Amino acid sequence: MDYFLNNLNNILKRTYEHLYIVIISLLISIFLGIIISIIISRNKKLASIVIKIISTLFTIPSLSLFGILITIFSPIKLGIGKFPGIIALIIYTLLPIVRNSYTAIVSIDMGVIESAKGMGMKRYEIIKKIIFPLSIPFIMAGIRNGFVLGIGVGVIAFLIGAGGLGYYIFEGIERSNNSMIITGVIIISLLSILINYFLYLIENYITPKGIRK
Amino acid sequence: MIELINLSKKYKEKYVVKNLNLNFNDGEISVLIGPSGCGKTTTLKMINRLIEPSEGDIKIDGKSIFDFDEINLRRGIGYVIQEIGLFPHYTIFDNISLVPKMLGWDNKKIEKRVNELAELINLPKSYLNRYPKELSGGEKQRVGVARALAGDPKILLMDEPFGAIDPINRKSLQDFFIEIQKTLKKTVIFVTHDIMEAIKLGDKICVLKDGEVVQFDNPENILKNPKNEFVENLLGANRNILRLSLKRGLDYIKKDYKIIENFEIEKISSFSESLFIVKENEDFKGYILKNDFEKGRKCLRNILFINENTNLLDAIILLLNRGEKVLIIKCIERGIMGYLKLDDMLKVFEKEEYELSNK
Repeated sequence: MDYFLNNLNNILKRTYEHLYIVIISLLISIFLGIIISIIISRNKKLASIVIKIISTLFTIPSLSLFGILITIFSPIKLGIGKFPGIIALIIYTLLPIVRNSYTAIVSIDMGVIESAKGMGMKRYEIIKKIIFPLSIPFIMAGIRNGFVLGIGVGVIAFLIGAGGLGYYIFEGIERSNNSMIITGVIIISLLSILINYFLYLIENYITPKGIRK
Repeated sequence: MIELINLSKKYKEKYVVKNLNLNFNDGEISVLIGPSGCGKTTTLKMINRLIEPSEGDIKIDGKSIFDFDEINLRRGIGYVIQEIGLFPHYTIFDNISLVPKMLGWDNKKIEKRVNELAELINLPKSYLNRYPKELSGGEKQRVGVARALAGDPKILLMDEPFGAIDPINRKSLQDFFIEIQKTLKKTVIFVTHDIMEAIKLGDKICVLKDGEVVQFDNPENILKNPKNEFVENLLGANRNILRLSLKRGLDYIKKDYKIIENFEIEKISSFSESLFIVKENEDFKGYILKNDFEKGRKCLRNILFINENTNLLDAIILLLNRGEKVLIIKCIERGIMGYLKLDDMLKVFEKEEYELSNK
């Protein structure tokens, strides 16, 4: 507790750093994820290939992935710091988002899409007014998964100089400073729980009334 | 008029629709029927260009559908499918008003139109603010029809619209549709694989097989003179009984009934009528036949009402389903008009069969 109070400023700064890389990467991931799922939802074969690729990337242990990214990006002087951290987070959070959005799109009742077409809705109108709103619960669940995952991976991103709350864990272990480790663990856990809950509220709020449970 | 001219559709090298030449008249229900894979749905979907024909042309009132913008063409044609396809996140009001909104009607006109349609499909106004999941299957399909009619299209395409609905509700949806079609006079193309439905609804029936027309005629002629074995099989061995669905119950009605109050039951023997409808206050309690009464069966039987358009076949099926002997014909404007007895209806059938076999 003492440690927490004495280092409040520093903790806030680290938390901000942490959230910064997680949120940036998540936003990019949501954007990419939704576009990818719309594209692959038109072609089953393509979908299974794309999802396999993303799942494979997902299974790479995070430390090795950082290693790979360092070797790839060091020639352009971006091997360490926030940049590879964000890239890694995008790769990890893409899977839950793409998988969920894709499931959402293909599980929409074909009759709904067909009657929309038959009534003369344009393709973009169908995406905007039918597919997207009906997919919200799934997509949001994917985003929540992605966020929690992102916060976890973000801890490890400290090791390649991306900053963030990983500092308290890794520095704490190095210095055998238990209060430092505990501070880190508590803040990271709280952050995950709160953000998950917050996103859950948003999800409920933006889910169209007719499909709420 | 909708004209299909040398219309074909092939996937790879296989024809699913082959050189169709058909004219569908304005204001009529034309039914496309055949086994699955006969090309009926494909033909239907070519009319609103959900499927592009490989060869040939389709003309609506003389104008080729390829001269229309695809989107505008579809907005001008009502489309009802088996899955209904109501938008679950839209209220019933929003579902019905979708096409008028796309057509750019103003809000007042849209609201008036939706209310009109709610009345037409017999849906309470309070339902307009509900969501599809709160409605029953039959109600949803009526909304589906209302949505297709919303933009007041001249043409209505219906792809097995009542196929997923249980038999009893299906009958009442068919009756409902016949009823509204009487005033709307839309040009309807109706796909089904249910021969009874085809005979009941169709002004014309087009029998398809392997993408080709086998027979195109009115139900009467198809039942009387099926062109070949295929059509005969489609009609089934009981096609004479199917002919009953071309006859209206109203034409065989009996009028010697009397509406009595509950306390008059004991006096039945002194009345001359043969059927008594028992009423208490404003409720119909049941009916009793004089014959039964005199044999000592004094309990009331359940009243079943049908409307004046119900055909004889549906009437017989309803009686058998419910285990009753008598149906009361009741029309909304004129109230009770008379009754139909099972034995009388079966006599009609016997007479028909006799006439046909002696032709």
